[in-house]
Amino acid sequence: MALEEKILTANIGKKTSSDIDSAMQGGAYEALIKALTKMTPEQVLNEVKISNLKGRGGAGFPTALKWSFLPKEKKKIKYLVCNADESEPGTFKDRLIIENDPHKIIEGIIIAAYATNANAGFIYIRGEMPLGAKILEKAISQAYERHFLGKNIMGSGLDFDIFLVRGAGAYICGEETALMNSIEGKRGEPRIKPPFPASYGVYGKPSNINNVETYANVPAIIKNGGNWYANLGSKDTPGTRLFGLSGHIKKPGIYELTSDVTVRELIFNYGGGILGDKKLKAVIPGGSSVPVLTSNEIDVEMDSAGLKKVGSMPGSAGVIVMNETVCMVKALLNLIKFYEHESCGQCTPCREGTHFLRLIIEDIEKGEGKEGDLEKILSLCKNIMGRTICPLGDAAAMPCESFVKKFREEFEYHIKEKKCLPETIKMTTVF
Amino acid sequence: MALVLIDGKEIVVNPEETLLQAALRQNIYIPYYCYHPSLSIVGQCRMCLVKVEGAPKLLTACTTYVPELPKEKKIDGKYDMKIFTKSEEVKEAQRGVLEFLLLNHPLDCPICDQAGECQLQIYSYEYGNSRSEFRFEKLHAPKRVDLGEHIVYDAERCIKCTRCIRFCNEVTKSGELTLIKRGVHTYVDTFEGKSLNNPYSICTADICPVGALTYKEFRFKERVWFLQATNSVCPECSRNCSIRVDTYKGEIMRIVPRFNPSVNGYFMCDYGRLVSERIKNKEVREIPSLREKGILEPRMEKGFYKILLSKITRKYEPKDVAVILSGRMTNEELESFKVFSLIVFGEILGDVLYITGEKDDILVKDEKRANYCGAKFFDLKFTKANENIKNIIKGKKLVISIREDIFKGIKEEQVKEILSSVEIFVVMDAFFTETAKMSNFYIPLASWFEMEGTTFNYDAHLQKISKCVSPPKGRKPFYDVVSLMLNLLTEMEIKDFETAKEKEIESVKKVLDTFKERDVMKGGFVPWFKEVKNAIPQLKNISLKDLAPLGFSAKGKKDGDN
Repeated sequence: MALEEKILTANIGKKTSSDIDSAMQGGAYEALIKALTKMTPEQVLNEVKISNLKGRGGAGFPTALKWSFLPKEKKKIKYLVCNADESEPGTFKDRLIIENDPHKIIEGIIIAAYATNANAGFIYIRGEMPLGAKILEKAISQAYERHFLGKNIMGSGLDFDIFLVRGAGAYICGEETALMNSIEGKRGEPRIKPPFPASYGVYGKPSNINNVETYANVPAIIKNGGNWYANLGSKDTPGTRLFGLSGHIKKPGIYELTSDVTVRELIFNYGGGILGDKKLKAVIPGGSSVPVLTSNEIDVEMDSAGLKKVGSMPGSAGVIVMNETVCMVKALLNLIKFYEHESCGQCTPCREGTHFLRLIIEDIEKGEGKEGDLEKILSLCKNIMGRTICPLGDAAAMPCESFVKKFREEFEYHIKEKKCLPETIKMTTVF
Repeated sequence: MALVLIDGKEIVVNPEETLLQAALRQNIYIPYYCYHPSLSIVGQCRMCLVKVEGAPKLLTACTTYVPELPKEKKIDGKYDMKIFTKSEEVKEAQRGVLEFLLLNHPLDCPICDQAGECQLQIYSYEYGNSRSEFRFEKLHAPKRVDLGEHIVYDAERCIKCTRCIRFCNEVTKSGELTLIKRGVHTYVDTFEGKSLNNPYSICTADICPVGALTYKEFRFKERVWFLQATNSVCPECSRNCSIRVDTYKGEIMRIVPRFNPSVNGYFMCDYGRLVSERIKNKEVREIPSLREKGILEPRMEKGFYKILLSKITRKYEPKDVAVILSGRMTNEELESFKVFSLIVFGEILGDVLYITGEKDDILVKDEKRANYCGAKFFDLKFTKANENIKNIIKGKKLVISIREDIFKGIKEEQVKEILSSVEIFVVMDAFFTETAKMSNFYIPLASWFEMEGTTFNYDAHLQKISKCVSPPKGRKPFYDVVSLMLNLLTEMEIKDFETAKEKEIESVKKVLDTFKERDVMKGGFVPWFKEVKNAIPQLKNISLKDLAPLGFSAKGKKDGDN
């Protein structure tokens, strides 16, 4: 059974939680003071390493390992980047932290700066989050006032500044290297890797990039120790995660739980069950880019080991629930339209492939599907997956492949009968 | 240095090069679009996907570096990587990429200028599907977009390889181009307020692998498979860019840069490229002409030269003669001029008009004629720029101007004043210029593209120029004119012309005959130099060693000759 530890949401719910005084009453910056006064950078890095904190942006890369890729030389200019470009469909966890507890993020970034000797940080916030940007801006200026940012922070010798950068509305800018291009004022296109950001990042300088939620976990780890964190919940992905429940669910919202919670528990124990007490049809467990689960595949834990068993992954932990009234063809069309629209257009398979996929799926949805279309979808997915510069191609192909494979009969019905399954209802939007 | 087994063949991959570069260098072909050897690597087209043993997915050869493995980890005990470029998985990926590229491509090959040299056609034929499964309407995108003075863009044909964008960012550093919009609607455009007018803009059409970028001067002129290609050299500055001249039925249709790593790399400037357009508009006269009663009238060749020779041979003291030479003359022409001068005037005269202009950091040199280095090598005197023309001509009785329009832009009254002391004014040029119209004797010469020869660039790099189109019969290279005149001289009886000189003429004639037979080209520089040296007394004491400071190698290497 999952733990309901409050690490990220402890301060949330108070009226003025985004204000520095309120945050400090709740313990904000205590970890920073501890790190700066009682620990060496190596100790901080080691503590994060012990905690086994995994990145919360979707790929689940070990955070301490990522930090350790930055060059150790003090003289080298290094940047930290906080990815606040949360735009994965079904995901709304970072927004909660940004709007309600921005100091937790700032504190996490400064601790990371201390551990990695970084010179400056960038918070890249999604353009569609004006409120979040306003709150972060205020929080950063408050942190400067209290001397948590600036020159010689609290007499520790650490100089660190944070700059807030607003995006202009492109999903692809959530990809780390596209985000860096965007910070530099360039077109938001992913870069080829290698070189990786740790050697060639923002403005060509070694950079480390973490998700908002990842940084927000750091203060608690420093405060309570890496061992404490490593033993929370799942061995595979320790600590708590913010699970975002949406779709056909009675109590949608953000739930802070350890990753050993199963999909079934999430939906039925925490989410209150399926909307309208209908039958569960499908679940997308980690934001729209991950393979879909059928109602038979939900007795697995929400960590990477658990979801791997059913061919999916935890991604950004945005859980989208679909009941029996959902037409899977229409749902997939909605998804692929999104990816077609958001493909940056630089590499061929993603640019053209998402377009071709959308046209075929649209045809099937309209009742104009042809025999062989499903094979074509699968072969297109094969030609996109793993053949693009960045994971957007995979993100588009994975749901298409899993929808068609797992709900093949429904797609075939659509092609043959030229209409939706009788139990489904036409909807304008799914999510 | 890593050892790679690629389709069963061993190749060496240096640490600074990618798999694609190493493979191409060692004659193993992997198809690619966005890679260009002189531009940064972006890995966007995904055409060069290859199977790397042990890698979970296909990798783009253009972005893959091969690290050397420790001895115990080597594959089969010796290889650092094993690559397959023709496996079913790779072929499938290549088919996939081509299918994607053709989805929204208009397939308008019948009216596309790129047809015949289009990488999309070539790869579709070699690696693509024979039929399309795309049953939907193709997307439409901007067509016939004027990106600049020369370049026209067709977004429907564009495969978004971004070579043109990178060219403008990295080579000309002018940054006019960008991709705009996104996804399948992406296309290339200029930034607001900018247009593609850098001095190298047409190179973007060269490096465009498809028909998306074309240039107005060649657009819809001719199907490329009808063009006849001749390798030559650009005459417009002392860089001597290697070029390929494409002609059709005796007309130059276009000039494209020819890769030459030691001269111009892959590119050439628009000004040089469009020389063919400029010379089309120039006035020409194909027959030698003689001024009688104030009118310059065409004459039969033999009679014309006899009159000319009888009037100039040993008739004037060298101090009364001015000869204006040009950096547009090839080595052979300059050499034959020396012979001519020696025989006709008794000593080597001549001032090479030294014309300079703006230069840039890429290719364009400040010396605005091709062969100044050749003129330096032949020890000819230089005179800077047009304004000194007056000083050269002042007080002279005989003036000869070869391949330079010396009175261009000067008013007729002024020209008359400059020429006031001159009794005979001979002009030899490929074009019937303003200067030619003022002459007493006009000799039409073959133009740069109508003759064979060699030229030295600013760096003393020897290259061959070729007869790309045949000149009309009356227009000859200068060395043929000299040859003709010397032959006539042996027939003529000229007062005061020493018989001893006849022997000299004989030996010189031999040399000139070898020019005629183009032996110069066959053996390269050295044998040619030896023959000239034997024939010309003044050169007898010069050895190849003495030429070393000029940058000649004793091998007499000629580049760009392949």
